[in-house]
Amino acid sequence: MSAPILWIALPFLTGALIMLLSSERFSAWIGGTVSAILALIALLIPIDTALLLGSLSIKISPAVQFFGRSFELNTADGSLLAIIYGLAALWFFGTEASGTANRFVSIGLMIVALLTASIAVEPFLYAALLLEIAAMLVIPLLVPPYQKAGRGVVRFLIYQTLAMPFILFSGWMLTGVEASPSDLGTTLQSGIMLSLGFAFLFAIFPLYNWIPMLMEEASPYATGFLLWALPTFTTIFALGFLDRYTWLRNSPQFVGSIQFAGLFMVASGGIFAALQRHLGRILGYAAIAQAGLLLLVMSLQNLEMVNLVFLTLIPRGLELTIWALALSILKRQANSLQFSDVQGLARKYPITTAALVFAHLSITGFPLLAGFPSRLALWQSLTNDSLVTLFWIFVGMFGLLMSAMRTLAVFVMTDDESAWELNESWTQILMLAIGVSGLFILGMFPQILQPLLTNLPSLFEHLGQ
Amino acid sequence: MLILISCGLFFVTSLALVGLRILRPEARYTWLVAIGGAMFGFVSVFLWLVQLPLNIRLPGIPTLDALNSTLVFTADGISFPFALCIAALTLSILLTAVTQPVYVNSLIWAGTLALGGAGILAVTSNNPLTLLLMWSALDLTELVINLRSVNGASNNERVVISFSTRALGIGFLLWGSMVSISEANTFEFQSMSARAGIFLVIAAGLRLGVLPLHLPYSSESNLRRGFGTAVRLISSASSLILLGRIPVGILSSNLTPFLMILTLIAALYGGWTWLRAPDELNGRPHWVIGIASLAILSALSGNPVGAIAWGCALILVGGALFLASAQNIWLNRIMLIGAFSISALPFSLTASVWTGSLGFFIPFVILAQALMMAGFVRHALRPANRDALDEQPAWMQAVYPSGIILLILIQVLLGFIGWDGASQIGAWLQAIIASFLTFGLVWASRRFRIFNPVRAHWVSSTESRLANLYQGLWSIYRLLGRTSQIITQTLEGEGGIMWTLLFLVLFVSLITQVGP
Repeated sequence: MSAPILWIALPFLTGALIMLLSSERFSAWIGGTVSAILALIALLIPIDTALLLGSLSIKISPAVQFFGRSFELNTADGSLLAIIYGLAALWFFGTEASGTANRFVSIGLMIVALLTASIAVEPFLYAALLLEIAAMLVIPLLVPPYQKAGRGVVRFLIYQTLAMPFILFSGWMLTGVEASPSDLGTTLQSGIMLSLGFAFLFAIFPLYNWIPMLMEEASPYATGFLLWALPTFTTIFALGFLDRYTWLRNSPQFVGSIQFAGLFMVASGGIFAALQRHLGRILGYAAIAQAGLLLLVMSLQNLEMVNLVFLTLIPRGLELTIWALALSILKRQANSLQFSDVQGLARKYPITTAALVFAHLSITGFPLLAGFPSRLALWQSLTNDSLVTLFWIFVGMFGLLMSAMRTLAVFVMTDDESAWELNESWTQILMLAIGVSGLFILGMFPQILQPLLTNLPSLFEHLGQ
Repeated sequence: MLILISCGLFFVTSLALVGLRILRPEARYTWLVAIGGAMFGFVSVFLWLVQLPLNIRLPGIPTLDALNSTLVFTADGISFPFALCIAALTLSILLTAVTQPVYVNSLIWAGTLALGGAGILAVTSNNPLTLLLMWSALDLTELVINLRSVNGASNNERVVISFSTRALGIGFLLWGSMVSISEANTFEFQSMSARAGIFLVIAAGLRLGVLPLHLPYSSESNLRRGFGTAVRLISSASSLILLGRIPVGILSSNLTPFLMILTLIAALYGGWTWLRAPDELNGRPHWVIGIASLAILSALSGNPVGAIAWGCALILVGGALFLASAQNIWLNRIMLIGAFSISALPFSLTASVWTGSLGFFIPFVILAQALMMAGFVRHALRPANRDALDEQPAWMQAVYPSGIILLILIQVLLGFIGWDGASQIGAWLQAIIASFLTFGLVWASRRFRIFNPVRAHWVSSTESRLANLYQGLWSIYRLLGRTSQIITQTLEGEGGIMWTLLFLVLFVSLITQVGP
C-alpha cells in the first residue's frame, strides 16, 4: 500500500461511493469514520518505515506515479495528515447534526482528497490545478440542486479561477529567477504575479467580498467547511513556496507586503464584523480576520513560524466547525440568521447559542479558549517588530470581541421570562459539547498538541530548520 | 504546594456537594460538609503564614518558553491578605446561609466554594498570563451565573455589558504585557515598564467599573445576599490584586493626573450614591465602585499596599454588611467596627492607605472616604427588610452571628499581622479629618433631606445622564455602521468586481512604490 493511495485515492473513491447511498445518517457516519481511521493511521503508522506485527511486516510506501506526475507523502507528512483527516472527521460527523444533505460528506471527502493531493504532487506547481478543481467541486455544495447560483458563488469561482493562471505563470517565471538571480526585473514581475495569485487564493482585501456574500446566501455548514479547507491548504501551499525560494523569504518587500496584507485583513475583518447584523456574515468576517492572522504568522522571520502556523490552523478548524454547526442549527429554527430573527433564542437553544459564542470568543483570542495560545505567541513575536502592528491586530480582535458581545446580547435579550429549555437533539448536544470541551482543552493545555507539532517543521526543509 | 492544598479543599468540597446532590439529595448533613470544607480551607490559608512566601510554577505554553510563559502562583505579603479575606468570606457566607430561604440549595453552596477556590487562585497569580487565565475563568463563570439568574431584556443587556467591560480589561492587561515585553523583554509584574503600568491600572479600573465610570452589575439578580455577594466581592478582589502587583514608582506618567481626576470623580460619585442608597444591597454596586476608586487612587499615588488594604476592606467590611440578613441590635453595633476598619486610623486595616503622594487631590480623597464611611454607618444602623434574629431557632442564633463576627475579627486581625500594610500608624491626620467629616455627614443625614435615600426618579435621572454619554458613543458606532454598509454595498453590488479590481491595482501600485 502506498501513502497517496491510502490518503488520496481511498477517500476520493469512498466519497464517490457515498454519493450512491441515500441515508444522511449513514453517509455522516461512514465519512466520519473513514476520516477518523485515516487520521489514526497517519498518527500511528509512520510512512516509509517497516512495521513488524508478529510475523507480518507492514510498510506504507511514500510515492506513486500518475500520468507522469509523482505524488509523494513522506514520514514528516504523517502529523499533517492526522490533523487534516482528524478535523475532516469532525466536519463529517457534524453533518447529521447540522441537517446538511448527504452529498456534503461525499463531495467533502473528495475535496479533502484533492486538497491532500495538492500537498503531495510533484512538481508542486500542479497544486494550483488541484486547488482549482477542489474549488469547482465546492460549487455543488454551495448551490442547492436545480437552483441558480447566487452572486457570492459566482464571485468565489471567478476569484479562485483567476488565481490559477497567476500562480502557474509566476512558477514559470520563478524558474527563470532561479537561473539568473541578478535579473531584478524578472524577480519583481514574478513576485507580483505570485502575490496576485495568492491574493486571490487567500481572499485578501478587497478580494474577500465573496465570503460574507456566500455566508448570507449558502448553507452555513458548507460555507464553513469551505472557509476551513481552502485557506488551510493554501497556507501549506504558500509555505512550500517560501521554503523553496530563498530570495522570496529573504525579500523585505515581499515579507512586508504579506504583513501589510495580513494586518489589513485582521483589522478590516474585525471592524466589519463588529458592524454586521447577520450571524453568517459575522462568521465570514471572522474567517477573514483569521486568514489575516495566518498571513501575519507567515511574515514572521523566525524558526517558530512553522509551529505557529499549525498552532493557529488546528484550533481554527475546531472553531469553524462548532460555529458553522451552531449556525446551521439556528438557521433551521429561525430560517434566517438576521439579528431580528434570532433574538432571544438562548432560552430555547442554550447549548447551540453558548457553543456559538464560545467559538466566536475563541477566534477572538479570549484566554482559556483554543485560539488564545497561538494569538499570544504571535503577539509576543510581533512585539520585537513594532507596537503599531500589534495595535492594529488588537483593533481587529476588539472588533471581533464587540461582534461576539453583540451576538450574545441578541441571544439573551428578551422579555420572555419562560424557563430555559433544551430543544437541541442529542446528536447536536453531543457534537457541540465535544467541540466546546475541545476548545477549552486546547486553550488550557496546548501542550497536548506538542506531539503533533514536533515533526511538522521538517516538512519544510528551510523554514523550520 | 500549600496554595494548591487550600484551593483544592474548596474545590473538592464543592465537588462533594454536587455528588451529594446527585446521589443523596435528601442528605441532612450537606450543610455540615460545606462548612467543614470551608473551615479547613480557611485554616489552611492561615497556615500560609508559617511558610510565607510560597511559590508554585506550573508549565505554560510550550512555544513560548523563551518568554517565560509558566503559570506562577505566589503567596506573599500582597496575596495573603486577599486570600485570607476570600476564605473568610466563603466560610462566612455558608455560616450566615442558615437564615436564608435558599439554604436548602446545596448547588449554591457548591458554587460559593468553587468561586472561593478560584478567587484564591486568582489573587495568588503572580504573572500576567496566570492572572489573565484566572480572570477569564471568573468572568465566564460570572457571566453564566448572571445570565441564568436575571430576567428581562435590559437586565440581560447589563450582564453582557458588564462582561464586555471585563473582557476589555483583559485586553488592556494583555496590551500592557505586550508593551512591557517590547520595552523590557519581560512578562513578569516585578519588572514591568512604566508605560505598561498605566495600562494595568486602566485594566483594573475597567473591570471594577471605575474607568470609565459605569455600574457593571445588575442589581436585579435573584441571588442577592449570599452567592451574589461572593460573586461581586471575589471578582472585585481578583481585579484589585493587579494594583498590588504594580511595582512602586512606575506609575509616574503624564497620564497619571488625568487618571487620578477620573478616578476621583468615580470615588465621589460612588460615595455619594452609596450614602443615599435605599438599602445596602441596592447600594452594593456603588460600594464596589467607591472603594475600588479609593484603591486605584492609592495605587496611582505610588502606594500599591494601600490598594491591597482597600481591597481587603471591600471584601471584609462590605461582606459583613451585605451578609447581615437578620436583625440584631448587638450585631449591628459590632458591625460598626467596619467603620473603624475603613477610617485609615492608626492600626486599622486601612492605616497604610494614604502614605503615597496625593498632592492637591487630598481634600477630595478625604471627602470621598468620609462619604463611604458615613454610608456604611447609615446602612449598618438602619437595617432594611431584615428578619429579627430572635425569631430564629436557637442553633441559628448561635451560628449566624459567628459568620458576621468572623469577618469583623479578620478586619481587626489584619490591622496587626500577616502582611506589609499591618501595624502601621499611617497618615493619621487625614484619618482624623475623615472621621470627623463622617460624624458630620451621619449627623446631617438624619436632618437634611438632601442626604435622604434616593427616590426612583432621582436614580433614573442620574443614570440617564450616564446613559446619554454612552448614547453618544452608540451614535458614533451607528455612523461607522452606515459607512461600512456603503463600502459593503459598493463591493458586493453589481459593479463590485470592477471596484475590487480597481482597488487591487491601487494596492499593487502602492506596494510597488513603497517597496524599493
